[in-house]
Amino acid sequence: MEEVDRILIHSLRQAGTDIDEDVQSVKQFTSELIVEAVVRCLRVIDPAVGNGLSHSLPPGMSARFRLGMSLAQACQDVGFKGEIGYQTFLYSNEPEIRSLFMFLVERLPRESAEASDQPAGKSVLLQRAIAAQIKAQLSVPWLPPTCRLPVHRKTQSSGPCHSFHAQPLSLPCSLKVSSRKQPKEVQEYWRNYLLPVTAQPSQPASVPASLLENHISELSAAQEWESEWNSQGLLSRLTPEEYRSRKKARLQKRIEEQLRTAAQPRPDTHGATRSTSDLAELLQSFGGASTGGDVLTKGTRFTHTEKFTFTQEPEKAVQQMAAAASALPSSQQSEEDLKAQQEAELSALQQQLQQLSVQMEEVGGGIKQLTVSIQQVTDELQTREVTNAERENSVKIKRQTIDLLPDAENNLLKLQSLVESSSKRVVQLASQWEKHRVPLIDEHRRLKELCSNRESESSRKLSEIKDLHDKIRQSAEEAKKKESLYKQLLTEFETLSKDVSRSAYTIRILEIVGNIKKQKEEITKILSDTKDLQKEINGLTGKLDRTFAVTDELVFKDAKKDESVRKSYKYLAALHENCTQLIQTIEDTGTIMREIRDLEEQIETENGKRTVSNLEKILEDYKAIRQENSALAAKIREG
Amino acid sequence: MATPELMLSLGLIEKDVNADTLWVWCYPSIDADLREVMLRKCCLTLDNQVLHTFVFGQFCRTWYYITTVEVQEPTVLKKVTHFSIVVTAKDFNPEKYAAFSRVLCRTYMKHGSPVKMMEGYIAVLTKGICQSDENGSFLIKDYDVRKALLAGSLKDVVSQFGMETIILYTALMLKKRVVVYHPRIEALLEFTRALPCLVWHRKDWSILHPFVHLENDELENLKVCTGYVAGFVDPEVKDRSDLFDVFVNLPDSEITVSQNAKEAMSMGKLHKEIGNFIVQAAEDADRSDAQVIKDISVKTKEILSNLMSLADHADNSKLTLECLKQGHYPPATENFLFHLAAAEQLLKI
Repeated sequence: MEEVDRILIHSLRQAGTDIDEDVQSVKQFTSELIVEAVVRCLRVIDPAVGNGLSHSLPPGMSARFRLGMSLAQACQDVGFKGEIGYQTFLYSNEPEIRSLFMFLVERLPRESAEASDQPAGKSVLLQRAIAAQIKAQLSVPWLPPTCRLPVHRKTQSSGPCHSFHAQPLSLPCSLKVSSRKQPKEVQEYWRNYLLPVTAQPSQPASVPASLLENHISELSAAQEWESEWNSQGLLSRLTPEEYRSRKKARLQKRIEEQLRTAAQPRPDTHGATRSTSDLAELLQSFGGASTGGDVLTKGTRFTHTEKFTFTQEPEKAVQQMAAAASALPSSQQSEEDLKAQQEAELSALQQQLQQLSVQMEEVGGGIKQLTVSIQQVTDELQTREVTNAERENSVKIKRQTIDLLPDAENNLLKLQSLVESSSKRVVQLASQWEKHRVPLIDEHRRLKELCSNRESESSRKLSEIKDLHDKIRQSAEEAKKKESLYKQLLTEFETLSKDVSRSAYTIRILEIVGNIKKQKEEITKILSDTKDLQKEINGLTGKLDRTFAVTDELVFKDAKKDESVRKSYKYLAALHENCTQLIQTIEDTGTIMREIRDLEEQIETENGKRTVSNLEKILEDYKAIRQENSALAAKIREG
Repeated sequence: MATPELMLSLGLIEKDVNADTLWVWCYPSIDADLREVMLRKCCLTLDNQVLHTFVFGQFCRTWYYITTVEVQEPTVLKKVTHFSIVVTAKDFNPEKYAAFSRVLCRTYMKHGSPVKMMEGYIAVLTKGICQSDENGSFLIKDYDVRKALLAGSLKDVVSQFGMETIILYTALMLKKRVVVYHPRIEALLEFTRALPCLVWHRKDWSILHPFVHLENDELENLKVCTGYVAGFVDPEVKDRSDLFDVFVNLPDSEITVSQNAKEAMSMGKLHKEIGNFIVQAAEDADRSDAQVIKDISVKTKEILSNLMSLADHADNSKLTLECLKQGHYPPATENFLFHLAAAEQLLKI
C-alpha cells in the first residue's frame, strides 16, 4: 500500500494540492486535505464542475455537511461508481478514500505524456527554442538605457537590428559555373581583382543576408536539378552534359518557333513588316548569343529582350528628333508669311503625293503583269525541260532503232533472243543473289531481336536503378528524420529535470510485478498441494470404506457361528462409529477455525475504519449542530 | 498507249516480328530518297495497325503504287508479319498496278521468294503479260490509260460542293495550289484523282499528289511545281498557309481561299455562268461522268478560243494586257482571263 500511496500523493501534488512533506500515506490525510485534494482533481478533470466548489472546509458544521454532499455528487457525476456520501469526506476511512483517489488520479488528463510521444521536426525544435528564448527575455525586466548591463544591451538595445537586404554576390566557385570551364581571363579576374564577399555588398550589414540568399538560391537550383535528373534525365540514357545541351537546344527551338508563329506576316495590318524584321533580328541575336550563354541561368531570355527594346528605340527616336528639328521653321518670320508658305508647301506636297500614287499604281500593275509572266515562263520552262528529256530519250531509242533497221528481220530475231536470254540471266542472277540476301536478312533480324532484347533488359535495369534511387532517397530521408528525432529527444532528455522518482517508480513497479509473479507461483503451488491432499484424502476414505465393508462381511459371516467373533464384530462396529465421529469432529474444528479467521479479519477492517474516533467525531459534530440549531432557534425567538 | 517500259522498278518492304520495317529487296534499283518516302507511305512504319491495302502517289514525277498485305496463315515467311510491294512507274494508272501488285503479292506469299516475283515483272516488261497461278493472268492491255484518267467521279465532287466547285475549277484553270485534307487516305485518293478532270483539255495528271506527308523532302518536291492538287491526312496542314492557295477540308465540306490568292481568284459573272453549267451538267442523272467531263471540257475550250481570238495574230498569237482591255470585260473577268492566259502560256512576254 505504501507504494500506491506515494504514487497517489505525487500525482495529487502535480494536480496542485499542497501536501506536506511528512505526509507519507493516505492514512495520514485529514478531512481538510482530502477535500482540497478532491476539489483540485475535479478542477483539472472537469473545470465546470470543480470551479463551483471551494477547496477549504468551512467552519460551520451544516456548511461542511453541504460541501460534503455536493462533493459526493460531483464525484458521481464524473463517473465514480463506488459508495460515496458526505461521510466519505467528513468521517473518512482509509480504503474508501484510497479507492476514490485512485479513480480521480486515473481520470486526470495526460496531455503532457501524449505530446512527448509525437515526433517533432526541426521547425518545431526551432520554434520551441525561440519560444524559450523569448520567454527568457521577457522575464528580464526592461531597464532604461543608462542602467543596462552589457548582458542586457545585447537583447534590449535596438542598435544591431538591420533589415534583411540581400545583394547579388559574385563567387568563383558556384554550382552554376564550374571553374574549369571558364576562360582564362575570367579566372584571372577571380584571382586578382574579385573582392572578397565581405567587401562586395555596399553595406557591411547586408553581408549575412546576401550570403544566405546566395546559398539558398544555389541550394534550390541544385535540388531542382537533382529531382529533374532523377525523374527524367536518368531515363533518357544520356550523360548529364548531353542532357543539358539537349534541353537547351529544345528550349531554344521552342522559343524560336513561338516567336516565328507570332511574327507571321499579316497583309491587313500596317507596320507588320517592321515588327517582323525586328523579330527576325531578335531571333538572330537570340540564336547567336545563346549559343555561348548558359540556358540554366535564369533570365537569359529577358536580358535579351531588354537589350532589344532598349537599344533599338533610342536610335530611332534620335533620328526622328533630328528630322523634326530641321523641318521647324525659324520663329522670326511673320505669321502670315508662315501661313502662305505652309499652304504652298501643302499643295505642292499633295501634288507630289498624287503623282507618286499614280506612279505607284502604274508600277504595281507592271509588277503584277511581270509576276504573272514570270509564272508563265517558269511553267513553260518546266514543261519544256520535261518534254526535252522525254524527247532526248525517244531520240536515243529511235537512233538505235534506225541503226538496226537495215537488217530488220535478223536484228529483230537477235533482239528477241537477246531479251530472252538476258531476262533468263537476270532471273538466274536474282536467284543467286537470293542465296546471299536471305541469310543476311535473317542475320539482320536476329541481331535486331538481340538488340531489342538487350534494350528491354537495359530499360528494366534502368527502372530498377530508378527504384533504387528512390529507395535510397527515402531511406536517407528517413534516416535524417530519425536522426533529428533522436537529437530532439536527446535535448529533451537533457532538459528534463533529473526527477529520479519516475525511474524509481518504474523500478518499483517492476519489482512489484516480480513479487506478484512470485506470489502467484506460490499460490499455484499451494493450490496444487491442496488438490493432492484432497485426492489423498478421498483415496484413503474410499479405501477405508471398502476395507470396512469387506471386514464387516467376513466378521458377520463368522459371527453367526462363533460367539467370540460376534463380540469382535460388535467392537468393530463401535470402532467404526467412533472413528467416523472423530473425523467429523476434526472437520468441524477446521470450519470453526476458518470462521474465527474470517471474523478476525472483519474485526481488523472495522478497526481500520476508525469507528471509535469517527463516532466520537460524529457525536461532537452532532452536539455542534444541536448547538447551532438551538442558537438559531434562540435567534428566531429573539427576532 | 500502255507501253510496258513505263514501269520503272519493283520493291519489297517487310515488317518483321520485331516491329522493324525494312526494305528487303528491289529490282533494278530505287534511289535512297525515294526509298525513304516509300517507307513513310507504306503505313507499316506507323505503330497504329491501320492497314491500307493500296495507296498511290507521286514523288519527283515518279508514280508509286504500294500494296500492303498482312501475313496471316503460316507461310514460308516465318518472321514477317506484313509486307508491301512497291511498283514505281512513269504513268498514272492505279487500277493497272493494283491488279499487277495483287498478282505479285499472291506469288510472294506462296513462294516466299522475290525471284518468282521478278520473273512476273520481267514477263510483263518484255511480253506485257504475267501468268498468275490462280485466276488466270494479268494482261497489261486490259488497262487503258484513258480509263484510269476517267475513273475519278466529278459528279461526286459536284454533289458534295455544289456551286463551290467553281472555286476548284478556277484554281485548277489558273494553276493554283490546291490542298485537300481528309483523315482517311482512301477518301483522299478517291477525291483528288477526280480534280484534274476539271481541266481535261490539259490531260496533265502530274499536278496530282494525292498522298503527301508534312515532311521536308516531300514539301520541297511539291514547291517546285507551279500548280498542284495535294492530299494530306495531317490536320496540321491547315495552318501551313505557305502550301496552298485553296484549302479543301473534305470531312467538313469546306473550301477556303487563302488571303494572298484572293485577288487572282476573284470571281465574276463568267464564273457564275460556268458554275451553273457545271452543276447542271453534273446533276443530270442520265449523263455519265465521262460525259460531264466532256461537257466541261467543251465549255473550257470555248473560253480558250474566245481568249485566242483576242490575241494579236501578227504577234505569234500571243496576248497582252492591252489586247484584253480592248475586249471591255468587267474587271473580275479581265483579271481571270489575264491569269488564264498566263496559265495557258498565251501571254506575250
